[in-house]
Amino acid sequence: MSGYNDLSRIRTLRAVVFLIFGAIVLRLAYIQLIDTRYKDMAQRNVLHPVTLYPARGEVYDRNGEFLVQSRECYDFMVVYKDLPRSGFDTLRICSILGITPEKLERELRNARMRPRAPRRILSFVPKEAKLLLDECNLRGFYTVYRTERQYPRKIGGNLLGYVGEVSPEMLKRYPDYNAGDYIGLTGVEAAYEDVLKGRNGLRIEEIDTHGAIKGSYMDGAFDTLPEHGKSIVCTIDARLQLFAEELMRGKVGAAVAIEPSTGEILMMVSSPTYDPDELVGRQRGNNYMKMLYNKRQPLFNRAVRAKYPPGSTFKLVQGLIGLQEGVLKPTDMYPCHSGYRSGRVRVKCHEHSSPLNLYFAVSTSCNAYFCYVFRNILDNPKYGSVKEGFDVWKEYVESFGFGRNLDTDFLGEGDGYVPDRQFYDKRYRGSWNSLTVLSLAIGQGELGCTPLQMANLAAIIANRGYYYIPHIVRSVEGQDSLDRRFYEKHYTKVDPKYFEPIVEGMWRGVNVDGTSRWAALPGYDVCGKTGTAQNPHGKDHSTFLSFAPRENPRIAISVYVENAGFGASMALPIASLLEEFYLTGEVKRQYMLDYVRNKEVYYPNYDK
Amino acid sequence: MTNSGRTNIFDGIDWKTVMLYVALTLVGFVCILSASFDEGSAEPWSMSHFYMKQLVWIGAAWGVAFVVMLLDSRYFHMLAYPAYALGILALVAVLIFGREVNGAKAWFQFGSVRIQPVEFAKIAVALAVARMMSGYSFSINRAGDLFRLAALLFLPLAIIVLQNDTGSGVVLCSFLFVFYREGLNKWLCIPVLLVVLLFIVSFLITPTTLLILLIVVFTVSEMMMNRIWRSRIIALAAVFLASILLHYTLQLCGVDKPYYLSLMIVSLVAAAVAAVYAYRSNLRNIYVIIALFVASMIFLPTTEHIFNSILKPHQQNRILNFLGLMDDVRGTGYNVNQSKIAIGSGGLFGKGFMNGTQIKYNFVPEKHTDFIFCTVGEEWGFVGSLVVLGLLCALILRLMKMGDRHEEPFGRVYCYCVASILLFHVLVNVGMTIGLMPVMGIPLPFVSYGGSSLIAFTIMLFIAVNLDASTRQQLGRRRF
Repeated sequence: MSGYNDLSRIRTLRAVVFLIFGAIVLRLAYIQLIDTRYKDMAQRNVLHPVTLYPARGEVYDRNGEFLVQSRECYDFMVVYKDLPRSGFDTLRICSILGITPEKLERELRNARMRPRAPRRILSFVPKEAKLLLDECNLRGFYTVYRTERQYPRKIGGNLLGYVGEVSPEMLKRYPDYNAGDYIGLTGVEAAYEDVLKGRNGLRIEEIDTHGAIKGSYMDGAFDTLPEHGKSIVCTIDARLQLFAEELMRGKVGAAVAIEPSTGEILMMVSSPTYDPDELVGRQRGNNYMKMLYNKRQPLFNRAVRAKYPPGSTFKLVQGLIGLQEGVLKPTDMYPCHSGYRSGRVRVKCHEHSSPLNLYFAVSTSCNAYFCYVFRNILDNPKYGSVKEGFDVWKEYVESFGFGRNLDTDFLGEGDGYVPDRQFYDKRYRGSWNSLTVLSLAIGQGELGCTPLQMANLAAIIANRGYYYIPHIVRSVEGQDSLDRRFYEKHYTKVDPKYFEPIVEGMWRGVNVDGTSRWAALPGYDVCGKTGTAQNPHGKDHSTFLSFAPRENPRIAISVYVENAGFGASMALPIASLLEEFYLTGEVKRQYMLDYVRNKEVYYPNYDK
Repeated sequence: MTNSGRTNIFDGIDWKTVMLYVALTLVGFVCILSASFDEGSAEPWSMSHFYMKQLVWIGAAWGVAFVVMLLDSRYFHMLAYPAYALGILALVAVLIFGREVNGAKAWFQFGSVRIQPVEFAKIAVALAVARMMSGYSFSINRAGDLFRLAALLFLPLAIIVLQNDTGSGVVLCSFLFVFYREGLNKWLCIPVLLVVLLFIVSFLITPTTLLILLIVVFTVSEMMMNRIWRSRIIALAAVFLASILLHYTLQLCGVDKPYYLSLMIVSLVAAAVAAVYAYRSNLRNIYVIIALFVASMIFLPTTEHIFNSILKPHQQNRILNFLGLMDDVRGTGYNVNQSKIAIGSGGLFGKGFMNGTQIKYNFVPEKHTDFIFCTVGEEWGFVGSLVVLGLLCALILRLMKMGDRHEEPFGRVYCYCVASILLFHVLVNVGMTIGLMPVMGIPLPFVSYGGSSLIAFTIMLFIAVNLDASTRQQLGRRRF
């Protein structure tokens, strides 16, 4: 058979062998040496990253009491394909978790869509239930350590805010977060999210093709421990906050107290408030919807967002501007016969002796007096026209922190509203004068102030001319100081020397002959100013602005109660009780307490 | 074959082949150990582990090798046809009494031991082919002899395909390698290879294109075989012209049939004319071409039918997946994908012994049997793969060399048969793990786990070594 071409055939066949092995080697070289995708794929096959969740930072009040704690809780998870084929004790699981079998069935059906992926069946499983589940030794189910928020004092709903799972939209905005992470959504939780959240840890496990864990990857070389969130100390006084919430119960409005010497917010209540524990755990969704549809809007933080007309409390600002501008001297006397009248414009006032000076005008809250002052400011010949004068006035007002947010550390702070020249030009087609905008003189008209801004005004007057930016956090664990801006004095455009007459007026209003005499506290020189703000929504709003003691003031407070009538009838007793409680540590005026508790305020507008 | 057997069994043995064999079995043991070692096992020496069983099989295989070497080389020639008959009998028996594993009814079960007769049938077929081709009057290029040879191959092939063990059956196709070595006209090899290729890709082209391709290729092959040019080109042109004429005539008569039909009729008539021509001009090889052509014409258009009704769904999926017509990483493609990941992640030097995550954590299925090469690729990397492939390549080349130095055609044909079977196994087995070949369940010789395959390959190899040794002894005797 060995023909003439034997040798060439042997060579050909040898070439075929080399060709086949060459093809295999080339292909091997390609997938092993050139194409690096396979390394990643092998890793993705075998590596199973497990997120270790940190405990969220705790929040203390200024006296070291817990405002917010983190409680151990667990997510109950399932990996569908690991479930035993023979079935498991559904009813036992349901009874431990306190859910209906239908819900479990539904969740398991959902889990079946992606059988290899862990799926959460239930969050916020308490530790006791977790231990019971561990005893059952269920295959396919496991628990993951999480923390949930707990509020031992049950105060400061809007203030502290709440925590929720990151939504898909948020995930797009904040790439640092992963699905399933918790994030502070409002209040302090949101404002100090970076500090409180901590950092997720990671444990990389090796799994086999069935998903069973085989050990840790590289003996844990790439594992990280969760970094727990840092705790923060709030400026809030928990007991004062609790007392204020109790006093504000049944009323709609807000109360804010600031320590004038530091700008620390001692108390901040938006009423109606809610128990922050209601927005924790499984019932959160239901409770949230209930609150969302509550007509009194408990989720609306009135203390920093509402735009209330400041009413008579704003006369303090008018007086200060007048003094600074030189159009008013404390001894200047103006007449008041049940009001101010100029042409067809008329501003009513209550009965009091006339003529009167600045001190008495402040203490008795005379409308007419401040109409004169306001007109003198605007019509000052120095500025040529009313409009120029108005601009000057507006600059002064804004230097007191009105019409803009105060740049506090609290998110969602409102701006309030101070109208500008363009606003009136538009409304009155350019033809307006000091009479047209006269209602601004007594804090009415288009003015809108947040209760925080009003409390800040009280702090400015208490400090005689400057304020520290109000803030809610005193210190953060591991940080020496807060942002610089909280340590800077912010002066108004009114010289400190002009404040004394106004303070004198406020002191007299409480201690001598004014509208605020009920607020007097023996031994503490309380200064105060009532306000009764007309509004288009019914009965007048009651407001009171106060600080005490007169020298070295420790607390500046503003209380605003919607539709409660005179300033002295509701806002004043609340503010006074709070001052008494804060300054003396107790409340001796039981009658006043009973009065506040028993006095009902009706809100036909909300409760329609 | 005239002289008696050897006096000393170690005399004339090709020790290089034996060393390659021993090395491959040991590599196999290391891979199986790595693939099936269970760290958590209480008794690592228990006989229930694959690696312990393989150790026993390797010992048994070495013993069998020794026994084969004891036999007189003349017996193999003598026993070739009885062995073939026995092999066919065993294949038929397994078809009736066998046990079904993974969809293939190809196993005998004796207690805990499973035997796959196909492995042994391969030896019988190789012996029978060697015997037939070494006949004095046998000429590979004579049509009658070629048909006899084809029948010898197609009988076991048909039974193996009936067992649903297509992979093992296709191995027999590798004998083309031997036929080429023995002088088969290369212009006949090309159409055969083409038919195999067309069978795989026939889903992708229309029947008409397929037929035109067949006509052209077979005519050209015949042209090259007989080296007669002009008349063939004229005939080719005539066939196409006639088919077009027929097509339009039919259309004019109002019979609207596809062009395919006209072409088929004309080419069949032409085949008949060619047969007459072949008889007249005494060109017998044309019969072979015509037979192949008619067979492919019947076979190829029915591919789709065969594909849909004869192949099992998993086989269909494997082919579709390989051709890229279906991309299903979770289902059928899972094995190949995971195996590619295993090998690809090995890199240059691999992850080290027992450190392959794909292997250790069972991502690669059949990791100790058909996909054993993944262990090599993942744990020993490109370098390790080169070593194993180098061993296999050297063994195949060694067998070819042994064949070439035979004076007797029996030994030469047999050695080439063994080489071609090994080559085919390596190509398909390693090829499927790296996505070069569709998945066929055939083992990697000497390396994959499994007693019957190891022992069958050992017998097969050592018959070659034995034949070679006796030849060398004779040569040596003559030299002195």
